[in-house]
Amino acid sequence: MADSGQRRSLLKEDEEDEDVSANMSPLCDPRHLLHRILVLIFMCFLGFGSYFCYDNPAALQTQVMQDMNLNTASFMQLYAWYSWPNVVLCFLGGFLLDRVFGIRLGTIIFSLFVLIGQIIFAAGALADHFWLMEAGRFVFGIGGESLAVAQNTYAVSWFKGKELNLVFGLQLSMARLGSTVNMNVIGWVYGRIQMMMGSAGHTTLGITLMISASTCVFSLTCALVLGFLDRRAEKILHKEQGKTGEVIKLTDVKHFPFSLWLIFIICVAYYVAIFPFIGLGQVFFIEKFGFSSVQARAINSVVYIISAPASPVLGFMVDRTGRNIMWVLLAVVTTLLSHLMLAFTLWNPWIAMSLLGLSYSLLACALWPMVAFVVAEHQLGTAYGFMQSIQNLGLAVISLAAGAILDTKGYLFLEVFFIICMCCALITVVLLYLYNSYTEGELNLSASTRARRAKALSESSEDAGRLHSCQQSVNDQEHMKPLSPFGLRNRYLSRLGVQDKFPIVQLRGSSLREEHQD
Amino acid sequence: MSKLKSCFICSLLFVVFCPSSGFFGSGDSFRRKVSVEVNPGLTPPSTLPPGVHLVHVRALGQNDTLHFLFCNQGAPSLLLVHTNTTESTVHVNWPEFINRSSSGGLQVEPQSSVQYSSALIITRLWEYSDVNNTADPQHTSESSFYPPYELQDFIWSEFNQSDHRIRICGGDRTAASFTNGTFCLQISAFESEGRESAWPGLLHNSNSSQLRVSLEGVTARVNYSRFSLELQSVGDSGFLGRVDVHRSIDDEYTPSIFKVSQWVSLPVNSSRVWGYAQWKPVAYRKSSPVTEDATPCSHTEPIPMARLPPSALIQAYFSHGPQTYGLNVSFGIAGDAFYNATNYLSWTVLMGVGDPPVDSFSVFIICIMAVGLGTPLVLIIVGVVFLWIRKRTSQSSGYEPIN
Repeated sequence: MADSGQRRSLLKEDEEDEDVSANMSPLCDPRHLLHRILVLIFMCFLGFGSYFCYDNPAALQTQVMQDMNLNTASFMQLYAWYSWPNVVLCFLGGFLLDRVFGIRLGTIIFSLFVLIGQIIFAAGALADHFWLMEAGRFVFGIGGESLAVAQNTYAVSWFKGKELNLVFGLQLSMARLGSTVNMNVIGWVYGRIQMMMGSAGHTTLGITLMISASTCVFSLTCALVLGFLDRRAEKILHKEQGKTGEVIKLTDVKHFPFSLWLIFIICVAYYVAIFPFIGLGQVFFIEKFGFSSVQARAINSVVYIISAPASPVLGFMVDRTGRNIMWVLLAVVTTLLSHLMLAFTLWNPWIAMSLLGLSYSLLACALWPMVAFVVAEHQLGTAYGFMQSIQNLGLAVISLAAGAILDTKGYLFLEVFFIICMCCALITVVLLYLYNSYTEGELNLSASTRARRAKALSESSEDAGRLHSCQQSVNDQEHMKPLSPFGLRNRYLSRLGVQDKFPIVQLRGSSLREEHQD
Repeated sequence: MSKLKSCFICSLLFVVFCPSSGFFGSGDSFRRKVSVEVNPGLTPPSTLPPGVHLVHVRALGQNDTLHFLFCNQGAPSLLLVHTNTTESTVHVNWPEFINRSSSGGLQVEPQSSVQYSSALIITRLWEYSDVNNTADPQHTSESSFYPPYELQDFIWSEFNQSDHRIRICGGDRTAASFTNGTFCLQISAFESEGRESAWPGLLHNSNSSQLRVSLEGVTARVNYSRFSLELQSVGDSGFLGRVDVHRSIDDEYTPSIFKVSQWVSLPVNSSRVWGYAQWKPVAYRKSSPVTEDATPCSHTEPIPMARLPPSALIQAYFSHGPQTYGLNVSFGIAGDAFYNATNYLSWTVLMGVGDPPVDSFSVFIICIMAVGLGTPLVLIIVGVVFLWIRKRTSQSSGYEPIN
C-alpha cells in the first residue's frame, strides 16, 4: 500500500464528510483529535496485559520455583514455551491479521489467546500441575507477540501521517511500563495474598497469577472497544480495515546477503545474553549481592526503565552520526563489560545494570536498522520476520541451557556462558566490520556520506544498478514497498524496547525525500 | 579506531586484574602421609563403652606432623594438634581417659613440640517450632524451643572406616524421634589439596580435615520444625575466636553460594591466623542434592563459655586453662521448606591449621575466558592490519598512473 496515496484519499473523505462531523461531539467524531486520543488510550492499554504477564515468572522466580518445586532448568521452560510458537508465528502473524481474521477480529482473538494463556498458566499453579503452566505459556506466546503486530497495525491505521511517531513511542513506553510495574508490584501482591492465606504455596501463586490475568481482561476489553470504535469509524469514514501489509516470502531467504546473516548472528548472540539473564536475574542479585527481593526486582527492571528514555536519545544520536557498526561494536563491548563486572567483581550491580540498560538500548537503535541497508525493501518483511524467528529460537534454546547450567554449575559459570555469547557477538561484529570495509558496503558510513550517496543515487537512475541491491529507484520502492519500513520495523522492535522517534530507516527515506524537494 | 582499541585494552586489563585476587594464594599443595589408627594402644582390661571410638589420624609432613583426634565419648569432638617435628606421638593413658577423671589422659609428646591445638565439639542439637516461618531462632520465643538433644547422651551404633574416612552414626535412644533416624558424622582426612565432588565441595588441603554432619530420617517433633547445631571450640589460652564472613565471586563449586564463613583463631596480639573452621553457609536437604535442595544456614556470633564441653577427649587433652567459645549454626531461611519436607539435612565444615584455603577459578573458566576474549582481540588486530595494508597498496596503485 502506498501510504501517500491512501493519505490523500483519506483527506478527500475528510472533506466529504465534513457535514456529518458537524453533528457529533469532538469525542465521538473519528476525525477529531480528541477522539483519536481516546482511541490512543485504548491502543496503549491493549498491550499492557501481555507485557505485564510476560515477565511474571521472572518477578516471581523464587516463589514459582518454591511453590511448584522446580529446578531452574524447568523454571526456564516457562520462557522457552513462550518463545517456541513465535519461531513460526513471526512469519504468520501479519498474514493471519491481513487475510484470515482482519485486524479487529484478529486483535480480539490474540487478546483472547493472551488471556486464556494466562488463565491456563494460573490454573496450572492452582492445580499444582507444572505441565499445565507450560501449556499456558505456550498459548500466551501465541497471542502475545501477534498482539504487538495488531497494536502497531491499529496505530498505523489511525495515526498514519499524523502523530504516528509519538504513538509508536507511547505504545513502547506502555510496554516498558507494563514490564516495570510487573517487576515491582507482583511480588508485593504475592506477599499480601500470602498474608491473607496464612501460608505460601501453589494456591497463593495461582491466585497471584489469576490477579495478573485481570490485566489481560483489561486488555481484552480494550481490544473489544477498539474493534467497536474502528468499525464505527469505518462506517462513518468509509475507510478500509488496517492492514499490516507484510509480505513474507520464505524463498527470499536464499537471496539474503552475507552481511545479513552476520547481523542475524549478532542479534541472536546478543539477545540470548540479555533476556534469559533478566529471567534469572532476581535470585542472582539476592544470592550474590545480598539484595532484598524488593531491591532485586527493582534492579532487574532497571534495563527496561533505562531503555524507555534512552532509546529515543540514542536513536537520534545513531541517526545523526551513522556508522552503525561502530555503535553496535560499542554496545556489544559495553554489554560485555557489564557482564564481566557482574561475573568477576562485587561492585555495586547498579553500575553494571545501568550500563547494560544503556548498551541494550544502543544496540537496538543501531542493529535493527542495519537490516534495511542490506536487503531490498520488498524483502524487509521476510528479513525482519526471519530475524525475529531465529531470535525466538535462540531464546528458547538458550533459556533452557541457562537454567541447566545454573543448576549444575552455578552463577559464575552462567555469567561466563553469557560472556561467551557476547564474545561470539563481538567476533561477528568485527567480522561484519571487516567484511563491510572489504566490500565497501554502506553499513558503517557516516550519516552525511549516506545522504550524499543517496543524493547521487537519485540524480542518475543508471547509477542505481551499480550500487547496492537495496538502493532501488524511488519508483520501484513505491510499488514494492509493503509497508513503510518504519512501521514494519516498529512491529519487531516493540518487544525489544526500541523507542525510536527518529528511525534511521525513515531518515534514509527522508534523505531521499529531501532530494525530491530540492 | 582509537576508541575501539581503548575499549579492548580496558576489557583486557579487566580480565587480567580482576580475577588476580582469586588466582593466587591457594594454600599448601604439598602432600602429607596420612595414617589412621583406631583406639591406639587400647588393650584389655581397659575397654571403651560400646560404640565409642578414639580415632587418631596422623598426617606426616616434611618437618611437622598434624594429629587429628576424634572421639565420641561424651559430645563428639575433633581435636587438631600441630607439632613441629615428625617424631611426635599420641600417648593415651587409657584407664584415666575412660574414667574422665582428670586432664592428662591424652597427650601429644614431646609436649614442647606442640605449636597449636584446637578442637571443635558438637554439643547440642536444637529443635524449634518455627510457626511463623522466619527461620530466625535468635528471635524465636524460648517457648518454641524443644529440649535440645544432648550429644553426650547419644548412643553410637554405626562405625565405618574406609581409607581416610570415618563415618559414625548414632542417636538419642531415649527419644522417639530417633527410632528411624540417625545423627551421622563423617570425618575425612586429606593427603593433598583437592575438593570433594559432592556439594558444597569445599577446597581442602593437606593441613585440614573435613567434618560432615547429617541428620537423616529423624522424626520432627512438630510440622514446623527447624534445627540448629550448637558448636563449641576449645583452644589454647591466648587465642581469640572470631567468625569472618567473606564474600566470594566464585560459586562454581557450590552453586549459588557466594559466601564463606571462617571461624578463625588467632593470638591476642597478632593478626596471623593459626587455625580455622571453615564452612559455606549452606546445608543440603537431600543426600544427593540438586540446587533447589540447598538451604542457607546462618550462625550466631561466638561467645565465651565458662565451662569445658562435656567431651572425654577435650577433658583429657586440655589442661592449662583452655578457652572455650560457642556458637549456633541454624539451618533454613524464611519461607524455606521445613525439615519434614525431606527429613534430611547435611552440613559440612573444614577444620585446619594455617590460613583457610581460598577458592580460585577453575582452569576451565580461565581457558574459556582467555579464548573468548582473546579471539575477538586477535581478529581485530589481524583485520585492522589487513585493511591497513590493503588501503596502502590500493592507494599506491591509485597513484601509479599519475607517475
